[in-house]
Amino acid sequence: MPNSADAQASLEAVLKQEIIRMYQEVAEDPTAEFHFYHGRQAAELFGYDPAWLDRAPEGAVSSFAGVGNPHERACLEAGETVLDLGSGAGLDAIIASWSVGPTGRVIGVDLNPTMCLKAQAHAAATGTAMECHEGRMEEIPLPDSSVDAVISNGVINLSFRKRRVIEEMFRVLKPGGRISITDIVSGKQLTQSIVNDPKLWAS
Amino acid sequence: MFSLLEESGFKKVKSAVVPNFRFRQQSTQNSAEAYGVKAVMMTATKPEGG
Repeated sequence: MPNSADAQASLEAVLKQEIIRMYQEVAEDPTAEFHFYHGRQAAELFGYDPAWLDRAPEGAVSSFAGVGNPHERACLEAGETVLDLGSGAGLDAIIASWSVGPTGRVIGVDLNPTMCLKAQAHAAATGTAMECHEGRMEEIPLPDSSVDAVISNGVINLSFRKRRVIEEMFRVLKPGGRISITDIVSGKQLTQSIVNDPKLWAS
Repeated sequence: MFSLLEESGFKKVKSAVVPNFRFRQQSTQNSAEAYGVKAVMMTATKPEGG
């Protein structure tokens, strides 16, 4: 009989595949209907500047699947190093790159290597540089005290190990660094049937 | 998540509800509301000595 650690690892592996599948589907078929708003409609709903959305590549905008606007309170400044945790198709990283300018640096981390390539291509199409590392938010592939700010939009809720994710954000931030994240929270304990259902959890 | 941020050493933790967040389908929105599901904006700072 598997112990609870094995069971969680197994569920996490299934969940990883479901997350990759769902968000790749958004990127590959942005005209499809999902139960969450996405694309330009969602970005406008959350107050993204329409000028940003006009300037960003269509593919980055149409694949947007965030739950809010982390730029609203990020206060990014020229020359800063920014981590976009769960960078997806790259819209938030591209907007961050405009804020930090050519002397700054934007690093994306995403579970899905295909999305990393897509995000980098979208950034390049706008004439900005963004590097993206394939990796898990529970083990951010960056050194200690290496970024000024962490932004994230709707991904931390996907982790079974949220404390670990937050500890990792703390580790990679420089002293005095900050986070600006938007995410989904639940006021009540979810039922075990929801927790055990990768499709529901990935949503 | 607010308390996790504080327990992990973050300071100046602030949160606010994302006003326009909702699910596309009303049935999903109703279920989400039943569980108190909402989108929030959170900011926090790593202390200088951290």
